Amino acid sequence: MSESTTFDAIVVGSGMTGGWAAKELTEKGLKTLVLEAGRPIVPEQDYVEHVPAWDMKFRGMGDRRFQLKDQPIQRTCYACDEWSSKFFVKDTEHPYTTAPDKPFRWIRGRQVGGRSIMWGRQSYRWSDLDFEANLRDGIGVDWPIRYADIEPWYDYVEDFVGISGEALGLPQLPDSKFLPPMELNCAEKFVREKVAKHFGGERVLTIGRAAILTQNHRGRAACHYCGPCERGCITRSYFSSVNATLPAAEKTGRMTLRPFSVVHSVSFDSKTRRATGVRVIDGKTRATIEFRAKVVFLCASALESVRILFNSSTGEFPGGLANSSGELGHNLMDHVKAGGADATIPGFEDQVIVGRRPNGIYMPRFRNVKSRHPDFLRGYAFQGSGSREGWARGIMQTGFGPEFKKSLSRPGPWRFTFYGFGECLPNHNNFVELDKETVDIWGIPNLKIHCAWSENERALRRDMAISAAEMLAAAGAHDIEPFSTEEPPGFTIHEMGTARMGRDPKTSVLNSFNQAHDIKNLFITDGGAMVSSSCVNPSLTYMALTARACDYAVQQMKKGAL
Amino acid sequence: MERRDVLRLLATGAILHLAPSKMLAVAAEARALLDNQPSLRTLNPHQDATVKAMAELILPRTDTPGAMDAGASAFIDLILTEWYDEVQRNVFLDGLAKVDSRSQALFAKDFIDCSLQQQGDILIDLGDSMVARMRKSRDYHFFDPDSDIDTDFYAILRRLTLTAYYTSEAGATDELHFEIIPGRYQGCAASSLDEETSKK
Repeated sequence: MSESTTFDAIVVGSGMTGGWAAKELTEKGLKTLVLEAGRPIVPEQDYVEHVPAWDMKFRGMGDRRFQLKDQPIQRTCYACDEWSSKFFVKDTEHPYTTAPDKPFRWIRGRQVGGRSIMWGRQSYRWSDLDFEANLRDGIGVDWPIRYADIEPWYDYVEDFVGISGEALGLPQLPDSKFLPPMELNCAEKFVREKVAKHFGGERVLTIGRAAILTQNHRGRAACHYCGPCERGCITRSYFSSVNATLPAAEKTGRMTLRPFSVVHSVSFDSKTRRATGVRVIDGKTRATIEFRAKVVFLCASALESVRILFNSSTGEFPGGLANSSGELGHNLMDHVKAGGADATIPGFEDQVIVGRRPNGIYMPRFRNVKSRHPDFLRGYAFQGSGSREGWARGIMQTGFGPEFKKSLSRPGPWRFTFYGFGECLPNHNNFVELDKETVDIWGIPNLKIHCAWSENERALRRDMAISAAEMLAAAGAHDIEPFSTEEPPGFTIHEMGTARMGRDPKTSVLNSFNQAHDIKNLFITDGGAMVSSSCVNPSLTYMALTARACDYAVQQMKKGAL
Repeated sequence: MERRDVLRLLATGAILHLAPSKMLAVAAEARALLDNQPSLRTLNPHQDATVKAMAELILPRTDTPGAMDAGASAFIDLILTEWYDEVQRNVFLDGLAKVDSRSQALFAKDFIDCSLQQQGDILIDLGDSMVARMRKSRDYHFFDPDSDIDTDFYAILRRLTLTAYYTSEAGATDELHFEIIPGRYQGCAASSLDEETSKK
C-alpha cells in the first residue's frame, strides 16, 4: 500500500506545541500529518523512572566517556543523566555553530514528544505586566494580544493538562484553574512565613505551579512521588505530548504520526501565495518525500522552525520563507538564571520528608511591579526548594566507621535555595542564520547562532543573588551563600522570539493568531512566536497560543480564507 | 531473559502484575546478571585489597551491610576503567600507592597489614589534608568529574565508596529505607526514629 501524501493539515514537530496542534486540529475534523524528526517513543519500553540506581551500570553517575564524546553540550543539562540521556540528541549528529565569542547552549530532544518528555513542568500564566511590557518600555515591538485575548485559552488548555498549585490572586501572576497544590516542606513553610513577616505582601512564597497531577484527571493518574519525571512517567501523571495530547489526537482516528521524518523545507506556490506542504527527508531511507496540505503548522521549536524557513527560500523570499520583514531568526531570547542563594535552615531536626516531590517553590516577580527599580527593566521570579541533606554530605566529611555510617543513615541539616529566572529583552542583534559552511547528516545547513546577554540581564542576575540573600538573612538562615553565575544563553532551554508576532508586517513575522503575515496558511506556534520573554516559564503560554491558533485556522478554513 | 528485559520489566512496573513465583524468578535472574561482574580490570589484587580495607573502614558492616558487601571495590574498578580518563586514574592509583608509603613510614607495614587503630590513624591524616585542600573550593558538584574534588585521592575514594554503597540495593533500601514508589509526599513528617529507638 503506498503512503498517503495529501492531508488537510501538516504539523511539524511532536513536542509541547506539536502535540497540541495535533490534538486540536484532529479534534476539529482535520486529517492531520504529524512529522517528527526523531524516533518513536513507547512508554512501556522507553520510560525508565522506576529503574533504581543499582540497576544502572554507573549507578547514576552517567556514561561519562560516551557523553564527553557524543553529548558534550547535552550532558551539561541537569536532566541529561544516565537514565534520561537517551532523550537528548547526540551533539555529534546534531551540530550547530556560534560566533567564536558568543557561546550558546542548545539543549535538544529529537523523538516523539520532543522536549516535553524532559521539561521542567513549571506552568504559569503571563499577565498584562508582560504583554504590555514592550510598549511601556519602547523596546522591540508591541504584543498584538493582551491577557484578555489569551485568558480563555489558558482556561482551555489547563482544563486538559491539569496544573497543581495555589491560588494567590496576584495581578502579575494570574491564577490558573488549579488542581490541589503539592505540600511545602518544613524549610519552605519556615521561609514563607519569615518572608511574609519581613517583606509584607510584596514577596510571596508559594508551591510551584506544575503540570503534575495531584489527583486523577482525565484518565491520567495522580503523581506517586517517585521523583524523576524527566525519565518518563508510566502513570502519565505529568503532562507531555506523549502522555496526553498525542493519545487524544490518536483517538480521533485522523492523525498520521510519522517519526524519522526530517523536514527539509516548506513548499510555496508563488501564484496562490500559499504553502503547499513540506519536503521531508526520510530518516531511515534518506528518500525525499513531498507531503501536501491545506495548512502547515510549524511547531519544531523556536530554532528548528526558523531553520526550516531559512532553508525554504524562494526568489521572492531570498532571506527565508515568510521573511518579508527581515525579522525571521532575530530577537532570540532565553531566560537568564543562575542567580540566587543557598542557606542552611536551623531546626526541624526531628522532621523528615517522605516521598520525592517533583516540584519546588515559586516566588512571583516582585521587582518593577509596583515601584521602579533603578538598575534594570523587567524582573525575575524565584524557583528553588527546601530539602534535607542526604548521604552525599559524607563525602566531604572526615568521619568513618560505625558512628559515621549511622549518622549518614539519617538526613542532614535542612537546606534552602532560591534560584532566579529573569526576563530577557528582545534584541535584533541576537539572531540565528544558516551556516554557509556546514551541514548536518541530512545535508541540511546547520544553524549559526549569535546571542549574548545584555547588561540588563546581568543586572537582573546580580540582583537575584542580593534579594535572595537578604530574604534568607531576614529568615534567620545560616551559612548563606549568594551566587550569580555567568552561563551562556540557551541553557535555561526557553529559547524564543525568532519569528515574533506583531501588529505590523514590516516589523514582525506573525500576526496576532500566529499566522504568517506573508503566507496565510502557515502558522508558527512554538517559542518562535514570542514578542517578549516575561520571566515566567513559557510552555503554558505556547500551549494556549497553539490551541488559539488552531481554532482560528480552522475557522478561516471553513470561511475559505486559507 | 536479557538484562535489558529485566530492567524494562522493573521500569514499567509490569513486574508488579506478575505472579509472586514469577516475580521472584525475575528478581533472581536480575541478581544473577548483576553478580556476574567481570574480574578486576584496573586494580591489581594488592590495590584491590587496599581499596576494600579502606572502604570497609569508612562504611563497615554493622547491623546493616557494609561497603564490601555492596561491592565498592568492583564499582571503583569499573569507574577507574571505564569512566575516569588516564590523568584521573593516575591521581587515584598514585594516591593509593602513597597510602602504603605512609603506612610503611609510620608503621613499617603495608596498609592492609596494619592494625585497625593504625589504619584509622592514616584515614584521619588523609581526611585532614582533604579538608585543608577543599576549604578553598566551594564549587563542588557531586557528579562533575571536573570539580576540584577529583584532584584529591581520598576525596575520590570517599566519593566512590559512598556512591557504591548508598546506590546499592542494600545501602539504598536497608540503610536509607529508599522506596522506588513512595506513593505519597509529606514535607514535614515526624521522624520515625524515636519510634524505632523505643522498640529496641
